[in-house]
Amino acid sequence: MMDHSVVVGFRRIMDRAGWLALALLGAMVFMPFLTSDPLAYSIGTQILIGASGALGVYVMLRMELLNFAIPGFMAVGGYAAAISASHGVTDIFALAAISFMLPGLLSIPVGAIVLRLKGVYFVLITYIFTEIVQLVLIETPSVTGGTDGLIGFPVLQAFGVQLTAYSSTFYVSLTLAALAFLVAIVTTRIFRQQFSSIAQNDVLAESFGLTLWRYKTIGFFVSSGVAGLAGFSLVNMLLIAHPLSFTATSAVNYIAYAFIGGTGYLLGPLLGSALLVSVTNALSFSGEYSEGFFGIVIMIAVLVARGGLAGALANLWGKLGPRRFRQDYPRPASKVSVKGAQ
Amino acid sequence: MLIRKRMAAALVAIGAVLGAPGVVAAQECELKLGVVGPFSGGAAQWGIAMRTGVEFAVLEVNSKGGLPVGDKKCHVQTIEVDAKYSAQGAASAANRLASEKVRFVMGPVGSPEVSGIKPVATRYHMLLMLNSYAKNAIGPEWPLAFHVSPGPSGWAAPLVEVAKEKFGMENVVIIAPNDQGGTDIAPVVAKAYEQQGIESTEEYFKRGTANFSPLVARVLDINPDAVDLVSTPTVEAGTLVKQLRQAGFEGPIGKLGGPGTEEIARIAGGMNVLGNYYWFEPVLIDEQTEKMTQRYTELAGSEPPDHTFFYLWAAGTRMVLKAISEAGTIEDTELVAQTLRELPVKDKNLGDGLWIGQKFFGINQELSLPFGMGIIEDGVQQPMIRMPAATGN
Amino acid sequence: METVLSTVLIGVMLGAQYALLALGFTLIFGILGVVNFAHGSLYMLGGYLAYAAVAKAGVPYPAAVVFATLGTAALGYLFEVWILQRVVDDHLATLILTLGFSQVIITGVTMVFGHEAPRFTFPIVGNVAVGSLFIPQDKLIVFAISAVVICAVYWLVYRTGFGRAMRALSIDRAVAITLGMNARIIFPLTVALSAGLAGLTGSLITPILSLSPHAGESVLITAFVVVILGGLGSVAGATAAAFLVGIIEAFSGVYIGGSLGTLGLFVLVIAILMFRPSGLFGASMRGA
Repeated sequence: MMDHSVVVGFRRIMDRAGWLALALLGAMVFMPFLTSDPLAYSIGTQILIGASGALGVYVMLRMELLNFAIPGFMAVGGYAAAISASHGVTDIFALAAISFMLPGLLSIPVGAIVLRLKGVYFVLITYIFTEIVQLVLIETPSVTGGTDGLIGFPVLQAFGVQLTAYSSTFYVSLTLAALAFLVAIVTTRIFRQQFSSIAQNDVLAESFGLTLWRYKTIGFFVSSGVAGLAGFSLVNMLLIAHPLSFTATSAVNYIAYAFIGGTGYLLGPLLGSALLVSVTNALSFSGEYSEGFFGIVIMIAVLVARGGLAGALANLWGKLGPRRFRQDYPRPASKVSVKGAQ
Repeated sequence: MLIRKRMAAALVAIGAVLGAPGVVAAQECELKLGVVGPFSGGAAQWGIAMRTGVEFAVLEVNSKGGLPVGDKKCHVQTIEVDAKYSAQGAASAANRLASEKVRFVMGPVGSPEVSGIKPVATRYHMLLMLNSYAKNAIGPEWPLAFHVSPGPSGWAAPLVEVAKEKFGMENVVIIAPNDQGGTDIAPVVAKAYEQQGIESTEEYFKRGTANFSPLVARVLDINPDAVDLVSTPTVEAGTLVKQLRQAGFEGPIGKLGGPGTEEIARIAGGMNVLGNYYWFEPVLIDEQTEKMTQRYTELAGSEPPDHTFFYLWAAGTRMVLKAISEAGTIEDTELVAQTLRELPVKDKNLGDGLWIGQKFFGINQELSLPFGMGIIEDGVQQPMIRMPAATGN
Repeated sequence: METVLSTVLIGVMLGAQYALLALGFTLIFGILGVVNFAHGSLYMLGGYLAYAAVAKAGVPYPAAVVFATLGTAALGYLFEVWILQRVVDDHLATLILTLGFSQVIITGVTMVFGHEAPRFTFPIVGNVAVGSLFIPQDKLIVFAISAVVICAVYWLVYRTGFGRAMRALSIDRAVAITLGMNARIIFPLTVALSAGLAGLTGSLITPILSLSPHAGESVLITAFVVVILGGLGSVAGATAAAFLVGIIEAFSGVYIGGSLGTLGLFVLVIAILMFRPSGLFGASMRGA
C-alpha cells in the first residue's frame, strides 16, 4: 500500500492529466489561426477519431480488461448516425446523443454475456463480437447498405447553423472528442476506486461487497458510448458508413494508441493517437515498407517508454516539476492479467 | 580525402548554379499528378502495376520536354500516396494531395478506396481516373470521376458468349468473396450467364479464407458444368483452383473479373492443373503491349511488373494528359473533364474505343478499349482472343 | 450419407491442421502469458523458408521442412532474448511487441520475395481411395505428422523435466526460481518451441493451400479461437478444440455456406465460453 502523500500526489496528477487532455483539445480550436492546410485538418481529424477510439480502450483498461469490441461499437454508433442523418436528423448534438446512447444501450445485454469473462477470454469474446457486427452489417443490406455501405452524409448543423466550411469536419470531430473525454473523465473520476479495485483483484473486491457487475457494466457502457462517438466522427469524415471501416483487426490500432500513449493517464489516448497517426501519415509515401516501419516504431515505443508517452511525461514532471509533485514513485507497468489472479 | 570531397561539392554547386537557368527555362510550369492506390498489403500488386503504368505515360511526355499546355510545356510530376486498400487511407490520401494542391488523381484501385476518395475529391474539385468494379464506381453525383476501364457491366456479356461457344456449359457456380469486391460483381456476371441461357448460382466466402475444402465440397455437391471465380483475389483463386481440381472437378473454370492467371497457375501447380480455363484480361497482350514494355524499359531503366494493369493505366494516363493539354489548363478541372468526355478514345498502342457507362452508371465516363479473353484448353495456353471495346449494352 | 462422411473427413483434416497451429500458440500463451500476434507471420515465414530451401538451394522437401522449423525457432529464441524478455510481465506490452514483430516479418518477406505468390507445391499429389471416398494424400501426410508432433509435444510438456519446469514457471515463477528453474533459459526455449511449431505448420500447409506474404493473417484468429476453446496451456484441450472447430467449420461450410456459417461458429464459441468460461479443458484458475 502506498502512503498517503504519494496517493494524494498521484491523484493530483491523474486529475490533471484529464483536464490537460481537455485543454489540449480546447487549444486545437485555434488551429485555423495556425494553418489552413487541408492536410493538417485531415491528420487532425484522424487523430481525434483515433483518440476517441483509444479512449474507449482506456476506460476498460482501468479495470484491466482489454476491449476488442471498440470497432464493433463504433460501427453501431456510426451507422446509427448515418441512418438518422438520412432521415433528417442533422443537428450535431442530437446525432452525438444517438451515436453515444445506442451503442451504450446495446452494451448492456452484450455486457451481460461478455463481462463474465476476464483476461484473454474477454479479449477473444470481444473480438468475436466485432466480427459478428461485421457479419450483421453485411447480411442486412436493406438497413445498412450491406457490403456497399451507406453513401453520403448530409451537412450537419450546430445551434441551427449549417457547418459547410472545409474545416467543419475537423470541428465536428473536435466537439465529439471533447464530449467523449468529458464523459470519460467524469466516469473514471467518480468510479476510480471501484475500477481500480476490480483491476487489482476483483474476487477480493467482491468479497468486500463490491457489486462487480454494476461497475463493469458502467465502464462497458461508457466505453461503448465513447466508441460510438468515434464511429460517428469517422463516418462524418469519410462521408460514408462502410463495413470495412470497422474491422476487428482495426481494434489493434486503437489499442496501440492507448498503450503507446500511456495506459495510466487519460492523456494517453490523445498522445498515442497523435504520435501514431502522424507516423502512419508520414510513412504513406513509403508504400510497401510502411508497415514494417510502423512495426519498428511501435516496438521501440514499447521498449523505451514503459508507461507510454504520458507516463514518460509524468516522470519528467515528477522530476522537473514544482517541488510538491516531485516524488519517485515507480509507475507500475500495466498488468492486463492474461492468466488471471497473479 | 576531405579536400577532394569539398572540391567535388564545390564543383557540383557551381555546375548547379550555372545549369539552373537552363533547367528553369525548360520547365515553365509544373503539373502535379496524384497517384493513389494500394502500395502495401494484399492488393499491392494492383497498386504497383498501376503506379508503373502512370509513370510510363509521364516518362513519355517528359522525355519530349513536357506536356504542351497552352503555349508552355509543363513538366509532369507524380505524387504517390499509399491508400492501403481502405476507405480511410484513400480519404486521407486525397486530403494529403489537396494540401499539395494536386488537382488530377490517377487511381485509386478497388472499391474500398474508391468509396473513400470520392466525397473528399468532390469537395476539392479533383478529377479522378479510378478503377473499381463497384456498382456505383462512377455516377452523376461525381461528375469529375472517370472509370479507367469497364466493369463487368461492359465485358461480362461478350465473354460469356465466347465461353459458351467454346465450352458449352449449361449451368455455372459463381464464387466470390462476401464483401463489396465480390458482391458487386457476381450478380452482374450471373446476369450475363443467364442472358445466354446458362443457369447460375452464387456462392460467397469470407474474405481471408485460406482453406476452401468445405466450400469445394459444397460446390461439388451442386455438380455444376462450370465454375467462375469472378473477382476473387489471385491468391484465393489459385488455392480454389488447386482444391477444386484435386477434389475431382473437371469442368471449365472461368475468371471473369481480375487478372492474374500466371500467379494462379503457379499456386495451382501449373497450367495443366488449370485444364480448361478462361478469363478476362483487361488488355489484349500482343506486339503492341510488347512495344510498351520495351519503351518503358528504355525510359525507366528497369522492366515493368508483369501485370496487365500496367498497360491499362498507361493508356488511362495518356488520355488524362491529352485532355489537360487540349483544354489548355492545369487548374480548371471542370474544363478538363469536359474535354476528356468529348475526346475520342484512341490509344496509340491499345487501339480505338469509346466512352460508355450511361446505361449502367447514368454517366458516360467509362473508358472502354479493346480487351482480351484468355483461353487455356487442356492445359495449353491458346492465343488470346481479341475482343472489341465493350459497348455496355 | 456420402456427403456427411466426406464432410467429417474434411473436418478431421482441417482439425489436424488447426491442432498443429494451435499447439505453438497455446504453449506461449499458457507458459508465458504472451498473446503472440506474430504467430501467423511465423507460420508464413516457415512457408517461405521451406520454399527458399527447395526453390533456391535445391534442398529436398523434407529437409526444407526441418530447415524452416529450425529457422523460425531460432528467430523466436532471439526475439525472446533480445526483445520480449524486457517486458515479459506486461501482457499488454508483449501484445504490442508481437504485433510490431509481425509487421516487420511481413515487410521483410515482401522485400526479399516480392508480393506475388511463388510456386510452392506439395511434392506428393493425388488421392487415396478409401471405399467410395477420396482422401488427398497431402492432407493425409499432414494428418500423420500432426499426430506425431502432438504426441511429441505432449510428451515434452508432461513427461520431461523441461516440460515440468515450463509448467512450474508458469504457475508460480518465484517459487520455481527458488527451486532452481531458470526462467532466463526456459522462456526463450519455450518461445523457440512455439515459433518452431508455427514454422513447421507453415512449411507443411502453405504448399497445400497457398503461400504469399499475407498467408498468416487468417491463421491467427483461428489459432486464437481454438486455444481459448481448448483452455489456456492445455495441449489436450487445444487438440480437442482444433478438431471440434474443424468439424464445425466443415459442416457449416458445406451445408450453410457464405458468412452465415462463420456466424454459427462464433455463436457456438460464445455459447461454450458461457458454460465453461475457461474453455473445455482449462483449469478454472487460469484467468476466467
